[in-house]
Amino acid sequence: MKYKFIWLFIAVLCSSAAFAQITVKGSVKDKTALPIPGANIIVKGSGVSASTDFDGKYTIVVPNKDAQLLFSFMGFTTKTITVADRTTIDVVLEQAGQSLEEVVVVGYGTMKKKDVTTSISSVKGKDLQTMTVGNATESLQGKVSGVQVTGQGGPGAQPRVLIRGISTLNLSTDPLYVVDGVPMGNSINFLSNNEIESMDVLKDASASAIYGSRASNGVILITTKRGKIGKPKFNIDLSNGFQMMDNPYNMADGETYANIMSTAGHSDYFPNTGQYRYRGQTTDWWGAGMRKASPVRNASIGVTGGSEKNTYAASLNYYKSDSFYGVGGWERITARIANDFKFSDKVSVGITLNPRFETWGSPGNWADFDKIDPLTPIYKPADQLNGTENEYSIYARSPSYVWNPVAAVARYDDYTDQYNLNTNAYLQYEPIKGLVLRTQGSIEVGDKTQSIFKPDFIIDAAHEKEEINSVQRKNTTNHDWTWQTTATYTKTFAQKHNMSLMVGATMEEYNGNDVWGYGEGVPNNSDLMRELKAATKNRSSDGNSWSSSLLSYLSRLSYNYDGKYYLTGSFRRDGSSKFMADNKWANFPAASASWRISNESFMENTKDVINNLSLKAGWGKVGNQGLPDAVYQSNIGQGYYVIGGEVVNTSFPSSMANRDIKWETVEDVNFGLDFGLFRNKISGTIEYYEKTTKDMLFLKQFPTSSGFPENARMWTNVGSMKSNGIDLILSYKDKKGAFSYGADFTFTTVNVEMISLSADGEKLYGSDSRTLTVEGDVPGYFYGYVADGLFQNQTELNSHTDEHGTKLQDKAQEGDIRFKDLDGDGKLTDNDRTKIGSPWADYTMGLNFNFAYKGFDLIANFYSSIGNDIVNQNISDLYNAASLTNKVAGLQDMAWHGEGTSNYVPRLSRNDDNQNYIKFSSLYVEDGSFVRMKNLQIGYTFLNQFGLDKLRLSLSGQNLWTWTNYTGVDPEVAGGDANKGDRVKGAGFGGWNYPVQPTILIGLNVGF
Amino acid sequence: MKKIKFLFFLAFFAVLFIGCQDNEDDFPTSEKPTLALGSTEIYGAPSRKFEIKAALADDLGLKSVRIQIPELSLDKVIAFGTEPLVTAYDLSYFFEIPADRGTSEAFKIKLTLTDVSNNSVDQDINLRLDGEFTPPAVAMDTPKEGAVILLPSSNIMKVKFMVNDDSGIDFVHVTCTALLIDDLVEVNGAQSYTFDKEYILPRTDASYVLTITTKDKFVQPNTGTTEINVIASNDYPAIYLCDQPKGTNLTTDAVGVPMYFHDKNGQDFEFKYYADKDNKEIYFLGQEGDFAPHCFGADGTNLAYGSSVAPIKLPTKGYYKIKMNPKALTFSFEKYTPTSKVWADIANGQWHDDEALRRPFVSVCGGGIKDASWDTWNGWVQTGLHLANNPNNPYQLVGEYTLTGTMEATFTGQWWNPSWRLIKNGIATMSPGENGNAKYPAAPGVYKVIVDTELERAFITKK
Repeated sequence: MKYKFIWLFIAVLCSSAAFAQITVKGSVKDKTALPIPGANIIVKGSGVSASTDFDGKYTIVVPNKDAQLLFSFMGFTTKTITVADRTTIDVVLEQAGQSLEEVVVVGYGTMKKKDVTTSISSVKGKDLQTMTVGNATESLQGKVSGVQVTGQGGPGAQPRVLIRGISTLNLSTDPLYVVDGVPMGNSINFLSNNEIESMDVLKDASASAIYGSRASNGVILITTKRGKIGKPKFNIDLSNGFQMMDNPYNMADGETYANIMSTAGHSDYFPNTGQYRYRGQTTDWWGAGMRKASPVRNASIGVTGGSEKNTYAASLNYYKSDSFYGVGGWERITARIANDFKFSDKVSVGITLNPRFETWGSPGNWADFDKIDPLTPIYKPADQLNGTENEYSIYARSPSYVWNPVAAVARYDDYTDQYNLNTNAYLQYEPIKGLVLRTQGSIEVGDKTQSIFKPDFIIDAAHEKEEINSVQRKNTTNHDWTWQTTATYTKTFAQKHNMSLMVGATMEEYNGNDVWGYGEGVPNNSDLMRELKAATKNRSSDGNSWSSSLLSYLSRLSYNYDGKYYLTGSFRRDGSSKFMADNKWANFPAASASWRISNESFMENTKDVINNLSLKAGWGKVGNQGLPDAVYQSNIGQGYYVIGGEVVNTSFPSSMANRDIKWETVEDVNFGLDFGLFRNKISGTIEYYEKTTKDMLFLKQFPTSSGFPENARMWTNVGSMKSNGIDLILSYKDKKGAFSYGADFTFTTVNVEMISLSADGEKLYGSDSRTLTVEGDVPGYFYGYVADGLFQNQTELNSHTDEHGTKLQDKAQEGDIRFKDLDGDGKLTDNDRTKIGSPWADYTMGLNFNFAYKGFDLIANFYSSIGNDIVNQNISDLYNAASLTNKVAGLQDMAWHGEGTSNYVPRLSRNDDNQNYIKFSSLYVEDGSFVRMKNLQIGYTFLNQFGLDKLRLSLSGQNLWTWTNYTGVDPEVAGGDANKGDRVKGAGFGGWNYPVQPTILIGLNVGF
Repeated sequence: MKKIKFLFFLAFFAVLFIGCQDNEDDFPTSEKPTLALGSTEIYGAPSRKFEIKAALADDLGLKSVRIQIPELSLDKVIAFGTEPLVTAYDLSYFFEIPADRGTSEAFKIKLTLTDVSNNSVDQDINLRLDGEFTPPAVAMDTPKEGAVILLPSSNIMKVKFMVNDDSGIDFVHVTCTALLIDDLVEVNGAQSYTFDKEYILPRTDASYVLTITTKDKFVQPNTGTTEINVIASNDYPAIYLCDQPKGTNLTTDAVGVPMYFHDKNGQDFEFKYYADKDNKEIYFLGQEGDFAPHCFGADGTNLAYGSSVAPIKLPTKGYYKIKMNPKALTFSFEKYTPTSKVWADIANGQWHDDEALRRPFVSVCGGGIKDASWDTWNGWVQTGLHLANNPNNPYQLVGEYTLTGTMEATFTGQWWNPSWRLIKNGIATMSPGENGNAKYPAAPGVYKVIVDTELERAFITKK
């Protein structure tokens, strides 16, 4: 009744305009006479539109008999019908030539998917939006073959994205992200899922070479939503839920802990009697400091619409993910306003504004909640307080030397705010048919402020204190601009020769500066005083600025004969400020070809079965210039030396410029087969690729004879590596009556091998000498001793000798690890270390199901990584009783305590004289394979009800189940510390990493 | 028919495949290996290693030898390589008897030798635990290790020591190449013997090494050697300041007691010293390890010499500069106020990559110290190694370390700044200072550590 009233009211208001109008009704069905719910009907040129209900029926008001109706639905061919004298129009839409007619972004242009000769995978925004994630690449996981996404838990964490494995050892492995044609670096944390129209992944060099010097890790092209002709369409998308954080370990209670420590020999703390007195004394640290569920919220409101002259799209997006500490998290607010104007058939312009705000910061000490001993109380007992302590000094100190984690969270004050504004505009002119001149400019300005305050406190005068408080603030600003101009000419000759030529030039400049201030002795710890100005002691400051630029020329020529034989060539010439005159410029050519066999006449008879079959091959060269901005400079270092008995601040030459430094180059070949069967019910692509990296960039040490200090380094080009593998994507979709279903399967293999290093036999160690990179093997494999079980008895101990009876492990006892003497020299030395695992997966897989029946839909996404190993660094924390930190419950039974009781967990010992845990061995290496259900979502959609075009309710669970033999926190373990050059050489080390959390969400999507 | 053909080919290739496999164990038959024992009876003792010797041989190649003493949990297999084959091998295998075994026990050692043709031979060896393995014990009366013989007083070196051995002494042999001493005494099985003899020394400054070799009369004779370093000098080469009461064992410290002099000009020695209380009593010693033979104390305002001298008393607590001349028998001292840098508040140190945020701490890098390594980061994270300020003396950094054996150390903060390298004679030289960390033998145990930054000395004494 209420809706009728509203409609009546609106109808009265509009009555004056409705005199000459005609109401048209009808239905929209497919070839099998099944209704198509949600199909769009637009009155051409007016902005009036409607959509069909579940029965495929619609009603729309048109201005006159000459009005033209556009009927469209995804996957079907759009149909245009003139109304004439009819008031009922029933339409049958035909399925389009499936995805082959879809447009793919290829870098500085677009192509129809069927015309693409290179390796490009595409994902629609709606497929990404099925998940609520902070970083859009996380929902890419498993949906694209050749792309390995390793999630990183924690608010604001950036997933590791590898496109066809790794091609560098020392530089970044992240792909280049290009948003609406503008290179945006190696992270898209700033982008909301709801802003994305599509993602196109350029996987091979013949596709990505058009991005030249930054394309060696692949390129991800992101197209954001733009306006569409029609009346204003509002869309509201809300999802709300919580992330769950269960303790990954069952830690010992007070009594068990005391028993473990007593057994290990900590008799000074826990004499070997009477542990029962600790019964019931356990401090629930986890419960005191960690929230089992932390909220995550996503909200987006947008509007699109426009006329043939002007279209617009605007959206406001909000995302917030709280940390599980109860303080901190990540919050992001972005807006995107896109306007496109068509002044005439020849001139069009567009502008996009994208203001953004992000704030983040959260403690990182969740491991301490497990590691601190369970007998220490959270707060000091009353008799240890004298009333003069400040609020941060009332906490108890643990004899385990783990700082009180509840106190650490209470002290936490380290937050970063970031503001950005991106303005992106273009002007397009088509002077003659087929020739498009386009120029596009983008300006990005940003401001980031990190504020840290550390209050003073004394929990323990010797071990846990900060006697003076301190405040620091760092402000970083950046202003970057890009300008690109292209001319594209497309022409068909003699009906069968189709040609397109694009030439262009781009300029980019990236500038930044920072300033940092620090001071101590703020009069008190109150929030209002946490300012640098309030610091009374030891003030210091620092600051720097940097800049880099890139000038490029680019071109691409595409040709096909009769839609059967395709050739594409591209060429880019990059000049970078990072390199000196001799190597400032580099060329990145690429070529590819394909043969669309299914268009041959001899395939005519197979059309019912094989509707698409295409062979393709590509070759290209791309580069990696991802090294610091000023490597062409010689640098002066600073240090303190004692001269004449006084400590003197000194300067010294710390590094020397390498005039010959140049790009790291990746050369790549790709062979592929695209196929579509049974009217594309089954479709897929299988590709083989091979990449060779040359002139790899290494930071090498000077010979000490040069006079430079030992820590002086110089970037230099040495070594090469090779990788190859197979990408496969297989899709199936069908419809039985109102029931439609589909499945996508992605499969990727990566084999990588170092071909050469700077010298024969060179050994490159990483991650504190726990990984090794040598010629002829995978980079960064785990390198350590082989743990050959435990000594079960004295006879085994006595037999572990050299040929003269000298014990290989003279401090070993029964229950200790037996390390293998691999070189057989009768000694256990560094030479007995060997390859004990690899962080690189043999293959990764994704499996995505979708089902729909009338208003119901169900989506399930699975992701799997198989064959990689992980170093579980927590083994020492959890099993090694040398320290007084807490251990896992039941350790006294798990650990060796007599012959045959364990062949894995060594005996409990406070000394670890045998170095069971100090020696890096296969004890720590575990199978890291896993299968994870990334997303399970069920939804119900109401169409044209409640006065709305669309109302969808959904319930989803993300990361709900993981199957793995890995005993650590989370099997999604990414690269090492990039700041130490260990991104690749330190990959696969799991520890107390913030886990990817199971998340439950309810969603509401409204369109009107 | 097709089925039969298929089965035929399947069987054919299966036989072919199996026949082509490389079977490394397939060696022709050969003669048995030979096992010649070094001895059929071996003496051992609890907590002591014994050696099993045998000559192993085979005409084709040895595969393995197995050594078994089930009662002592020994079951060792030594496998020989096959490329190339080993045809002869001298077995020399040591094994330590567990400490809890009795000296009256005896066991059989079973040796099993196998060749590559899988021929085996066994032999047994008798193992007795009533062996005696210590060489005759030498108890030095004079000279003591490091003794200084002052030539102006006497150029006679009296050598006197006692030798004891339960199984009887075979001989005692005293040699010194520089002094042409070569005295061999046949003792003929007596369980005790006293050597007492005097030698004349040249009246020139020199260092001598006296070597005493003894041998007992056990079935498997034991020989021992003792070396004594002696300095003959017209002057004292060094003087040590000792603040311990007479009779104190001066060899239990790791370093610093007694304290080596700071400066020397002829026989004028100068010390810097911190008296930690009023009326602190000190002596001067002519040798490091004992109060005898050269001990100096006070006789009023003069320096006195002799075993019964009274100590010198420093009247009040504080730093002193002390001068003495052992030949002129003079001494003097004056109190002073240090002006060197005070390393205050080191217990509140902070490791930080950013120098501006760094605060000095002092820990230790080195060897023979539990939890220590040569990594300054380890020095930071091992908070048990951190030194603290002595609340009673800002120039002293104090702590407690567990020593595990011969030690060497550099007391250091982040990246060797600041640092004090422990060189010879207990000198803790502040960086850059002198090079070369000295090694100090120390009995395992817990030690008190004092680093005096004013004196640049370290004192590491058993707790």
